[in-house]
Amino acid sequence: MEKDLVPPGLTFLADNIISTQNILGIDKEQSARWAQHLNLPRQAETAFFAGCGYQFSGQLEALMSLIRQMDKSVIGAELPMRFARFQKKLGINLPGMYSKVLSRGSTAEVPPLEAAIKVLRKLGIEPGYLAEEEPCCGAPLYQAGLHRKFTENARQAYKKLKSAGVRQVISIVPYCTNALQRLFPQFIKDYDLEVKHFLEIVSEDLSSYELRFPREVKVTYHDPCQMVRYLSLVDEPRRILRAIKGIELVEPEWTKEKWSTCCGGGGGFEAVFPELSQVLAVNRTSELLETGAEIIVTHCPGCVMQLKNGLRELKVEGVEVLDIAQVIDMAMEK
Amino acid sequence: MSKKSDFKNYKKEIMDAAHNDRLRLALSRAIKSFRGNVKKALEKYPGTVDMAEEVIEIKQKAIPRMEELAEQAIREIEENKGKGYIARTADEALDIISDLTGSGKLIVKGKTMTGEEIGLREHLEEIGNEVYETDLGEFILQKLGSRPMHILSPSIHVPREDVAELFSRVIGKDIKPEADIAELVAAAREFLREKFFQADIGISGANVVAAETGTLFIIENEGNIRLATGAPPVHIALVGMEKLVPTLADAYKVSEVTWRYANYTVPSYVSLISGPSKTGDIEKVTTYGAHGPKEFHVIFLDGGRTELAKYPKLQQALYCLRCGGCLYECPVFAVTAGNFGDKYFTGIGAVWAAVVNKDPEKAASIAYTCLTCGRCKERCPVKIDVPEMIIELRKSLAEGE
Repeated sequence: MEKDLVPPGLTFLADNIISTQNILGIDKEQSARWAQHLNLPRQAETAFFAGCGYQFSGQLEALMSLIRQMDKSVIGAELPMRFARFQKKLGINLPGMYSKVLSRGSTAEVPPLEAAIKVLRKLGIEPGYLAEEEPCCGAPLYQAGLHRKFTENARQAYKKLKSAGVRQVISIVPYCTNALQRLFPQFIKDYDLEVKHFLEIVSEDLSSYELRFPREVKVTYHDPCQMVRYLSLVDEPRRILRAIKGIELVEPEWTKEKWSTCCGGGGGFEAVFPELSQVLAVNRTSELLETGAEIIVTHCPGCVMQLKNGLRELKVEGVEVLDIAQVIDMAMEK
Repeated sequence: MSKKSDFKNYKKEIMDAAHNDRLRLALSRAIKSFRGNVKKALEKYPGTVDMAEEVIEIKQKAIPRMEELAEQAIREIEENKGKGYIARTADEALDIISDLTGSGKLIVKGKTMTGEEIGLREHLEEIGNEVYETDLGEFILQKLGSRPMHILSPSIHVPREDVAELFSRVIGKDIKPEADIAELVAAAREFLREKFFQADIGISGANVVAAETGTLFIIENEGNIRLATGAPPVHIALVGMEKLVPTLADAYKVSEVTWRYANYTVPSYVSLISGPSKTGDIEKVTTYGAHGPKEFHVIFLDGGRTELAKYPKLQQALYCLRCGGCLYECPVFAVTAGNFGDKYFTGIGAVWAAVVNKDPEKAASIAYTCLTCGRCKERCPVKIDVPEMIIELRKSLAEGE
């Protein structure tokens, strides 16, 4: 039994992962709705690993805005999260209930995921997708310091992937990629999944394509912490963006590449410090806006959510946040 | 129950700081100039980067030998007619120092983080001494009754108008809020000048210590440490054991890397102190206490350091040169300053709180405030892997030892 030193925001995520295999604790049917019309095979040697962050991006955004309001109020964010945990102990699945409320407003679409699949298909890669059977990588457990639970979860996840016949994984969420590629081998004996990040695959294969963005734009790129300082995927996104005609890449002088500033999300920080996380999102967004870019491109569901929130808070119009998968997809069309 | 409310208070402090626009402005200016200065310093002296690699090796060898090096340094200091001590705990260090000072003394103090760690000034005041912080930033904080918010620029969070108001009050001189910074500095200089010469005792820390000669290396720009360690008849230095390195050559390298990454091409002063002041000018008879102090005391503080050295992943916290560079790269520090920390700040502060100060609640608050974004590691001259330490620490906090 863990001591009571883990903040409630993280125990909330941890409990959800353990009970429902996703960070939000909502029913898994919702996770795969984005892919229904794509007809991805359930069984394949190469599996696309979509990750909680993208699959539930709509719900996450709605939930974060709720939690932030509470965090700014006298109630604070801790109490409701402790309450959710308490309810669960009594057999009431509060997250399950609110997820229905949250999902009512949100659409099933997850543009970055759909774009990633389209891009892979254009490159002749037809991955499988485990849909609601996709396990959670458990990265928040690792981040929270709950390494026994992380290990247990990792073994189950590995077993699940193996029993589905998976040999290669194309992972897209930076946190999941780091977990599957670098953490799992430390905790699982004879781990033999070949894990590659979406951009590693795409950046190799794109060179023969003519890429053109639908319009002339100034674009800046935000390096997610896990991408730049953990996975060392620094040149890949830049090579891709520079290869796209119509895109002019403009970057912040002091805070690009390995000096990129964290968006304030990810690792569960946003669940522990919802309001502070928003302050950091605004700061990072401001740094990126100084470049004069009209599109902020990044490649992490946490960063996308944070930077969008930053734009909203700053009341900036005419600037959008896009995932690089969407940008590539747009540049491959025609 | 107290745990929860502690976290709540901590979070409130953090958020109050994050909503303080003046603090944000002060920090954003400091970050900008710090980054520019480090870049310039490293471009002008590109060899520093390789020297930092050497410093990692020096630290790797020195940290496991801390006690042995402390004993060696004490032998050398005593050979030079100084006195050396090992304090196992913070309380032991305070006892040694208060035995030396007694009460009713006038004490001038240079900035020492180790002193801050054990509450040295407060203790000396409690037992009836008049203590003056002489570092300008520390002086401001002492008079404000506030605590340092950065290891090198302790009063980084106080804008000049507030300093003017404070000085008018405590120095008793009419200083207008619009006074320029030079006027503020001059006022502090004038006020403190006589204290240096009236003081019974001067207290300092040290940035590095060479064990082979017992030499303290003290880096500074203001000149207050030269005066505090030179003018009074007694000099007491309090040094964390992790500051010891084997040789003078090692100490020099550690010093140069420290100041370069602390954004200086070269500091105005580096004092090398190995013993009390002496002269042999009259009949070649060595006599102590010429112009400098007659007494020289060095206290090496363990205070949990040898225990910290036993943790494989956490011991790298002892490599820290206290250049302060990581703080300027931390996105949370950029809005909260030292509120994200305890005795020491940001991620490293969590390790100190847990292992050195044995305060798991505090350690957890700090550890879970770290984004593990890893930008601090990019800046660190000795490549301290803060995210790795934080995850390790969270593991032991969450799952028990």
